[in-house]
Amino acid sequence: MKAARFEHHEPTTVEEAVSLLESLDGPTILGGGQSLVPLMRFRLAAPDTVVDLNGIDGLDYLREEDGTLRIGALVRHADVEAAGLIGERYGSFADAAPLIGDPQVRNRGTVVGSVTQSDPKGDWGTVLLAHEGEVVARGPDGERTIPAGEFFLLPYDNVLDEDELVTELRVPVASAGEGSAYRKLKRKVGDYAMVGAAARLALDDGVVSEASVALTAVDITNVAVPEAGEHLVGERPSGERFRDAGEMAAEAANPETDEHGSARYKSNMTRVLTQHALADALERASHGRAAADGGTADARTTDGGTTDRSTATSGATDGSTTDGGSIDDGTHRDCAGGE
Amino acid sequence: MTEKQIALTVNGTEHELEIEPRELLVHALREELDLTGTHIGCDTGNCGACTVEMDGQAVKSCLLFAVQADGSEIGTVEGLEDLPEAGDGRSDLHPIQEGFTRMHGLQCGYCTPGMMMAAKTLLAENGDPTEAEIREKISGNLCRCTGYKNIVKSVQYAADVYNDREPPESPVEHAESGVEAAADGGASRTDGGRADAFTSDCGCDRADPSHEAGTGSGADE
Repeated sequence: MKAARFEHHEPTTVEEAVSLLESLDGPTILGGGQSLVPLMRFRLAAPDTVVDLNGIDGLDYLREEDGTLRIGALVRHADVEAAGLIGERYGSFADAAPLIGDPQVRNRGTVVGSVTQSDPKGDWGTVLLAHEGEVVARGPDGERTIPAGEFFLLPYDNVLDEDELVTELRVPVASAGEGSAYRKLKRKVGDYAMVGAAARLALDDGVVSEASVALTAVDITNVAVPEAGEHLVGERPSGERFRDAGEMAAEAANPETDEHGSARYKSNMTRVLTQHALADALERASHGRAAADGGTADARTTDGGTTDRSTATSGATDGSTTDGGSIDDGTHRDCAGGE
Repeated sequence: MTEKQIALTVNGTEHELEIEPRELLVHALREELDLTGTHIGCDTGNCGACTVEMDGQAVKSCLLFAVQADGSEIGTVEGLEDLPEAGDGRSDLHPIQEGFTRMHGLQCGYCTPGMMMAAKTLLAENGDPTEAEIREKISGNLCRCTGYKNIVKSVQYAADVYNDREPPESPVEHAESGVEAAADGGASRTDGGRADAFTSDCGCDRADPSHEAGTGSGADE
């Protein structure tokens, strides 16, 4: 089906885009278009006017600056996949990018577009939450910065006004002792997450100084689980603590039964993937590495995937991680109870 | 609603088009430029049959409005034969086309143009990919006939040509007779010739009792 008729506006500056958003009636912003174009084709969206950002130069930056990782509005998923900076220091970003859509979709779809689409099954909002990042929006009254934790309201809804444009995402630069990871359960390439979990840990002399956990597809928005992070801070990382955090995540989640799985299964997988993500984050925090593997956890490998985890964690030999092995034992037993 | 004027360079030829903004890139290619080698499969962005090259990257032309491609260089399956690599193998075809014809990389052929364009962008950035890299790159392209095995072999065949290695002999007899038909995604093939050409392409002996179990390159995955 063809999209309904619309007027296509192609501003060349952010200022022009903002003034168009202010003056037009009910405009829709087109970034990568990998969600919007199908929505328009099925006429689930039929905007009269579309403001296409792709003609604006200089929004495709991904760089560290003044203690902040800045991701411009036209950075594509594939750009994140390819960025050396991401691969070295931002494990959760490196994990999430290649698990989105398929190669063609990743060449066009944008990180900012995924966050502003605010699909609870989208991955980037979860990663942003785990990094305690911010959304920078420009409107007629100037710029404002919205903490990720205050951004999402409902499925496909967030705190942005209709005449506001997100220009970039900001994430605090990863410290030397920091590691992060993202784990995603999906049935096949191109699917959205059934469950996703992001974890970030910072270690200071073997003690967790910062920790955060966030989840995908198990609530009406991407959600952070602050209690899980708080449970880990000030303690040495241990399998027991990670198990507790996984249980807290499962407790906080409100998944729904659908054609892909029961709420009980998703709840269980929330716990399992949270533990996996924490184990990956710990491994990276301990070794200063980002993506230890693809971070892949699709439906076929989840049960067997625990082998990989035990290999990864058994590589950590300092005292703070000797419990790593028990994380996997626990996980493996738990997985077998999944559906 | 106003039409927009856009410029598309498709397979090296520049075109000026007056189109409605709602027109998809795939519609502009097929309906305005009559380049029907790029297929519309699923209409949902899943199947990848509409994959084209846009400024060097594989994109799904059903997930882009044509106005978004204004000023872009587009490559479609029709352009493969005119690329510099064409003729480097054992025929005048592009090595990817030759690979698909000789390694039996298609059955119904519907996904083939998208598969070949995905493969083309892969080989442009990585001339000697591993099997895993090939499978990853075509993971956004669905084939319901072959089970992908022979598609991977077809891309490997092309990689052999790219790297001056001797590509494998075709397991299919009389591969040449199918060459023209597959080169443009089947667009030029007449229905009348189809049945005969298919059996000779296939090269199998229908009297041979092993036919059903043996030569089907089919759903083995």
